[in-house]
Amino acid sequence: MTVDRELTMSRAIVEAIGSEMRENEEVFYMGEDVADYGGIFDSTQGLLEEFGYDRIMDVPISETAYLGAAVGAAQQGMRPIAELMFVDFFGVAMDQIYNQMAKNTYMSGGSVSVPMVMTTAVGGTYSDAAQHSQTLYGTFAHLPGMKVVVPSTAYDAKGLMHNAIRDDDPVVYMYHKRLMGLGWLPAPPGPKTPVPEEDYTIPFGRADVKREGADVTVVTLGLHVHRALDAAESLAADGVDVEVIDLRTLVPLDRETVVESVRKTGRLVVVDEDYRSFGLSGEIVSTVADEALDSLAAVERVAMPDVPIPYARELEGEVLPGTDDIEAAVRNVR
Amino acid sequence: MPSEERLRALYTDMVTARYYEERLQEEYLEGKQPAFDISAGPIPGELHLAAGQEAAAVGVCHHLRDDDVVTAPHRPHHVAIAKGVDLKRMTAEIFGRETGLCSGKGGHMHLFDPDVNFACSGIIAEGCPPAVGAGLAAKKRNTDSVAVAYLGEGAVDQGGFFESLNLAAVHDLPVVFVVEDNDWAISMPQERVTDVENAATRAEGFDMVGARVDRDDAVAVYEAAAEAVGRARDQNGPTVLSVQVHRRMGHFMGDPQSYRSDEDQEAALDRDSIERMEAHLRDHGLAEDELDAIRTEAHERVDDAIAWAKDQPKPDPESAYEHVFTNPPSGVTDTEPDFDLAETGGESE
Amino acid sequence: MSEDRVPVVADGAWTDDVDEEEGVVVNWFAKEGRRVTAGESLCEVQVEKVSVDIAAPTDGELVEIVRDENAEFTIGDTLAWIEPGE
Repeated sequence: MTVDRELTMSRAIVEAIGSEMRENEEVFYMGEDVADYGGIFDSTQGLLEEFGYDRIMDVPISETAYLGAAVGAAQQGMRPIAELMFVDFFGVAMDQIYNQMAKNTYMSGGSVSVPMVMTTAVGGTYSDAAQHSQTLYGTFAHLPGMKVVVPSTAYDAKGLMHNAIRDDDPVVYMYHKRLMGLGWLPAPPGPKTPVPEEDYTIPFGRADVKREGADVTVVTLGLHVHRALDAAESLAADGVDVEVIDLRTLVPLDRETVVESVRKTGRLVVVDEDYRSFGLSGEIVSTVADEALDSLAAVERVAMPDVPIPYARELEGEVLPGTDDIEAAVRNVR
Repeated sequence: MPSEERLRALYTDMVTARYYEERLQEEYLEGKQPAFDISAGPIPGELHLAAGQEAAAVGVCHHLRDDDVVTAPHRPHHVAIAKGVDLKRMTAEIFGRETGLCSGKGGHMHLFDPDVNFACSGIIAEGCPPAVGAGLAAKKRNTDSVAVAYLGEGAVDQGGFFESLNLAAVHDLPVVFVVEDNDWAISMPQERVTDVENAATRAEGFDMVGARVDRDDAVAVYEAAAEAVGRARDQNGPTVLSVQVHRRMGHFMGDPQSYRSDEDQEAALDRDSIERMEAHLRDHGLAEDELDAIRTEAHERVDDAIAWAKDQPKPDPESAYEHVFTNPPSGVTDTEPDFDLAETGGESE
Repeated sequence: MSEDRVPVVADGAWTDDVDEEEGVVVNWFAKEGRRVTAGESLCEVQVEKVSVDIAAPTDGELVEIVRDENAEFTIGDTLAWIEPGE
């Protein structure tokens, strides 16, 4: 039976959360404005009605306290989902995130688990400027002890959320605001996909080849999966066959799929909405250099430059990788 | 006044903890002299000893069960002992051995004993939010277990403390915040960093109960804690309990304490909570040889634990890569589902 | 045009929350040609800042979408047509 019911990415996420909450009464959601408001980015839209204020919990503006409380509750065996409203806010609570949530399993020699999910909104494109537009993929992937997932479609989002909630480890679930399908921040075509009604899980550490191609490998995630697919369509008209790989999870990282693709095409373009230096794009390039240097004929990174994200539309447009930037990079490496 | 049996139990843990810290001091300094090299010797790294602060540990922990949760800061041994942490395995962990509580991965500042729900950590006030979370879990599950967060009087200036009080208060959680007031935050005397006299006063600002024990006396702490822990167990909300204690040694081993006047150091040695407890026991009619017997047994237990620990194997270097995650990296599943998805942006495998 | 066709109407159920009579179609969850069930959310519309789901009035086939994504509408407008049936 063909699945043809489509959902926006936010609704797919909500569907997964609702299902897990029905299954297991120890799953609960805590965050700012998640109850009546349904989440600033619709992450809990409609759940209050079914689960009530006890399980869809509004919290004060106290990231250290409530993210740390999620760690404590998780260590007692509950399965909290705690929302960091904007990933950019990590600064006020990073100690609880990277020193406790991510490290307690290791520091305890494996005797303690932290089965929580930290959801968070990432990304720009709507002039929210330097403190509200970051993705910070590299920051969270870099520090050991937390799994990191970045869905680009509704289908992936639901499967990854089921897996994240059921996983006994801390998972940072990063959803791009532009992909959620909000009325006030419309999504481009792409993230709204058919979504099966039943529960399903998508494995971590498994990248997805969103478009097969023979000429150039484009590795990317989140919003830029769709920009890369748009670029690929344009380029196809010129006879350039682009393979688009959606990483889907950063920790664990599927290096194998990337390497296999570059062995086939010899040409690599990495598209990253995070800052260029010392991060994700460098990691992908060095993975290929480590494992398939002889296959690599050309490589280019398309990433945010190392500047704070500017406000004015013309300025943000300049720094945030666009479809034409991706096209140009693909042409460059041929 | 607690029963004689309880007084004996409090005293036992106090002398155990005191002797433990004294013995660790000896072990720690071995190999680090004449010039202090922090990375040398059988206990490398930092060591923060709690000699003199026993009353705060036993007075509260003797009201707790195994299922009650305790988080402690970087000066944790007395609290761990009072909570019933496995002494041998804790010691092995401090000596960095494979059979330590954390397989040698945590060390003295990151001790975890899930059997008695004890954990300590190295960032100031960091233990407060997880204690609040444990209280949240108890409330959601409707049990009567409580959570206790220990912190020093310097830690009450950290943002995480304020946030934790507020969150515990607004949700009426079964948490007791025990502030061990030893007057010194490393080299900062309390009055130079905080305008408010003691942490209990701050509780008022959060619409929470605050209580203060001015005497470094385990019985006084025990009685105050009865109320605080009882309040939490009855699901009547959180408490801040500020307890005066005296730090007999430096902030960390190797600390020359040049910031502290000789009088202050001597005064700390004078206000010995263990001597006070012995006075209580004598009042109850215990003879010197009974006190001696308790002390001797406690010392033997500590010596045994240290000897056992030093005999434990060192960890295999390869094990450094283990225990990052509980689940294998792919989460709960390895396989992709197999759906027939209609066209349009959806991918099929 | 079959007289049996049932309209999916922007019926103004949101007027409890806002006074607006006009809105924008934000998301369609079904395509033309798809079988739908009564009560199923077919699309999401936005009126001012309020989001409202419009449900299928009957079982049937969604035969024509009249107002697509980003199209504006007023209360009472037909957004799509359903051919009713099992």
